[in-house]
Amino acid sequence: MSDITATDAVPSAPRKGSLLEQDARTKRRNAAETRFKMYGIIAVTLGILALVMLVVSIVSNGASAFQQTYITLEVDLPEDRLDPEGNRNRDQMARVSTFGYGPLIGEAMEAQIAALGIEIEELGNPGDIVSKEAPAQLRNFVLANPDVVGSTVTFEFLANGRIDGYMKDRVTRATALLDKNVSPAQLDLTDALGEAGVLEKRFNWAFITAPDASGQRPEAAGLGVAIVGSFYMMLVVLILALPIGVAASIYLEEFAPKNRFTDLIEVNIANLAAVPSIVFGILGLAIFINFAGLPQSAPIVGGLVLTLMTLPTIIIATRASLKSVPPSIREAALGVGASKMQTVFHHVLPLAAPGILTGTIIGLAQALGETAPLLLIGMVAFVREFPAGPPEGFFDPASALPVQVYNWTQRSDPAFVERASGAIIVLLIFLVIMNAIAILLRRRFERRW
Amino acid sequence: MNDMRLTERAVDSKDVKIAARKVQVFYGETHAIKDVDVDIDDKTVTAFIGPSGCGKSTFLRCINRMNDTIDVARVEGDIHLDGEDIYNPKVDPVQLRAKVGMVFQKPNPFPKSIYDNVAYGPKIHGLAKNKAELDEIVERALRRGAIWDEVKDRLQEPGTGLSGGQQQRLCIARAVATEPEVLLMDEPCSALDPIATAQVEELIDELKQNYSVVIVTHSMQQAARVSQKTAFFHLGYLVEYGETGQIFTNPKDSRTESYITGRIG
Ligand SMILES: Nc1ncnc2c1ncn2[C@@H]1O[C@H](COP(=O)(O)OP(=O)(O)OP(=O)(O)O)[C@@H](O)[C@H]1O
Ligand SMILES: [Mg+2]
Repeated sequence: MSDITATDAVPSAPRKGSLLEQDARTKRRNAAETRFKMYGIIAVTLGILALVMLVVSIVSNGASAFQQTYITLEVDLPEDRLDPEGNRNRDQMARVSTFGYGPLIGEAMEAQIAALGIEIEELGNPGDIVSKEAPAQLRNFVLANPDVVGSTVTFEFLANGRIDGYMKDRVTRATALLDKNVSPAQLDLTDALGEAGVLEKRFNWAFITAPDASGQRPEAAGLGVAIVGSFYMMLVVLILALPIGVAASIYLEEFAPKNRFTDLIEVNIANLAAVPSIVFGILGLAIFINFAGLPQSAPIVGGLVLTLMTLPTIIIATRASLKSVPPSIREAALGVGASKMQTVFHHVLPLAAPGILTGTIIGLAQALGETAPLLLIGMVAFVREFPAGPPEGFFDPASALPVQVYNWTQRSDPAFVERASGAIIVLLIFLVIMNAIAILLRRRFERRW
Repeated sequence: MNDMRLTERAVDSKDVKIAARKVQVFYGETHAIKDVDVDIDDKTVTAFIGPSGCGKSTFLRCINRMNDTIDVARVEGDIHLDGEDIYNPKVDPVQLRAKVGMVFQKPNPFPKSIYDNVAYGPKIHGLAKNKAELDEIVERALRRGAIWDEVKDRLQEPGTGLSGGQQQRLCIARAVATEPEVLLMDEPCSALDPIATAQVEELIDELKQNYSVVIVTHSMQQAARVSQKTAFFHLGYLVEYGETGQIFTNPKDSRTESYITGRIG
C-alpha cells in the first residue's frame, strides 16, 4: 500500500488494477506453476510406463512357467525286469537302476500309439518325448510300493522340455529341423497325442513345490528348495535384525549421550547402509564360514549376512521414526514422573511403531531380493534335497529365490528363460505381499489415533 | 484491576517449600537465568511475571529438573525442596517429578484416551490398588481440572481430539492426578476462555490449601487474583520478589513499575 501517495488515482477506480484480469506477474507465476505440474506428470508417466513394461515383459515371459505339459501313460511293470528275485525286497529291487526303467516308458508309449492307431514315419523311440525325469519317477514309485510289480499302473509323466516348448509356441517345426533334441516327427506325435487327450497342458504346482533339476531337464525344475531357503533366511533376519536394530536405535536415540563418539557411530551406520552388498558376502565368507566354521550354502549363514546388511536400514528407519515423535510427548511423560524407560516404551515406541515396521519390512524385502552376497557364501550350489524343518534346517544346504533366478539364466536350454521369469514373478509376488503387510500393519497401528 | 483488593490480602508467614540460591542456567552460550535467589512458600500461590523470553519457563523447569532433558542446558547453583538439594547426584529426577508436577505452556496430552491420559501417572506411581480406585482418582482429577462435565461421556476417546482449551485442562487434571506437593504451571490459561480460566483459578485456590503452586502468567489480573507472592523476571534476572499486593501497588524497582504499568514487555 506504499504506492497510495504515489499514484494519484481517481478514488472510484481500483488502485491496483482490476481483479478480473491477471497482471503480468500473476500470469508468470501461474505459467511457472503449470510448467511444474507438467514436469511432475511427465515424470510420473515415465515411471508408470517403465513399471508397466517391466511387468508385461516378465509376465509374458514367465507366466508359461506355471503351466506344464503332461503325458498320461499306462505302464506295464513286469516282474522279471524289476524284481528278478521275485521276493519284493526293496534292497534287492533297488539294484535295478533308472536305466532299467527307461525302456518301460518307451514300450508304454509304443503301446499307446498302437492303441490310438497313430502312424508316423521316422519317429525313432517315441519314449523320447517324455521327460528324462520319468524313469526316476517310475522307479521311486515302484520302490515305494513294491506290490505294484507285475501289474499295469497309470502314470502322468512330464513331457520333455522341447515338447513342452512346442505346446507353448517356443518350439516350431522350423526350429525343430535345426535341433537335434527334437524332430518334426515328434511334434506330429505330440499333436496326435494332444488330440487324443493323452497329452495336455495344465497348471504346474511342481514349479513352486519341486526342487531344482539339472540342465537337461528344465521341465522338472522347481522353486521349492529356493522358497524354503529364502523363507529360512528371512526368519533368521527377522529374529536377529529386528530386536538388535530396534534396541540399538532406541539406545542411540533416547539414552546415549550426544558426543563425538556417538556421532562417529551414527556416521558409520549411515556408511554401512551404503556398503555394496557383495562386501557383506566377503565378510560373511571370512567370518561365518572360514572363521566360525558354519556350513556353506546354509540358510543360517545367508541369514546372518543379510542381517548385517539389513541392520543399518532398520536402524536408520527406526531412528527416523523415533525422531519424528514430538518432544512434547516425552516431556509430558517425564513431567508426570515416568522414568526414561517408561517414557520410551509407553509413549514413544507405540507412536514410532508404524515407521519401525515399515522400515523393517523394507529391509526384509531388500534382503529377500539380494543375490550377490549369497553367491559368495556358496548358495549357488545345485541343491536337490529339501532342508530339514527348523531349526536343524537352518544348517542344511539350500538355495534362495534370487540366486535361483541367476542360476537359471546361466543355463543353456532356452526353457530356463521361461523358468527364470517365472521365478521372478514368484519373487515379486512375495515382495508385493510383504509390502501389503507393511501397509496393513501401518494402518492398524495408526488407526488407534 | 478494579477487582484487586490487594491490601486486604492476609499474608501469614509460611514454611519455605523451595529455596533457590544463585541459580544460573545456560543454554550453550546463552545465559538465560542469572543469579536467581528465591524462597517459595508452602501452601502459597507464587506468580512469575515478566516479558516474553525473560526466563520464566526456564526457571520453572529448573524446579522439577526438566532442563535435564535438554542437552545444551546447564544449571548451576542450589535449589532445595524441603531442605534437600534437588541437584544432589543421589536424587533421581523421576522421584522428584512425582513430587513436583508440571503443566506445560503448550498443551501436550498423550495420544491415548482421555481416561488413560489421567490414569497414567497414578498407574506408574501405584496410587490405585484396583480399577474402582483408579476410576475414582480419574474422576476427581478431571473434576479438579474443570473438565469432567465435558468429557464424562467420552472418556475412551482420544485426548488429542479435544479443543486446545480442553486439552490444557486435561493436562492440568493429569498433573493433579498424581497428587504432587508442588504444582508448576506454565501459562495454564493462555488458551482458555474466561469461564474455564475462572474454574482453573478456583482450582489453584483450592490446591493452595495443601500444595505450593507456582504459576507463570502474562495476565497481571490473573497474577493479582490468584497469587500471594509475585516474582518479576527481566532479562534473566529476578528483579523483584515480594507480596503480590506490594508488587502491584508499591513496586520498589522502576523496571517492575514500568512492566506492570505496561511500559516494557
Ligand atoms: N531449548 C532452548 N535452547 C536454547 N535456548 C533456549 C531454550 N529454551 C529457551 N531458550 C532461551 O532462553 C531464554 C528464556 O526462555 P524462556 O522460555 O524461559 O522464556 P519465557 O520467559 O518463558 O518466555 P515466554 O513468556 O515467551 O514463554 C530465551 O532467550 C530463549 O531463547
Ligand atoms: Mg515460557
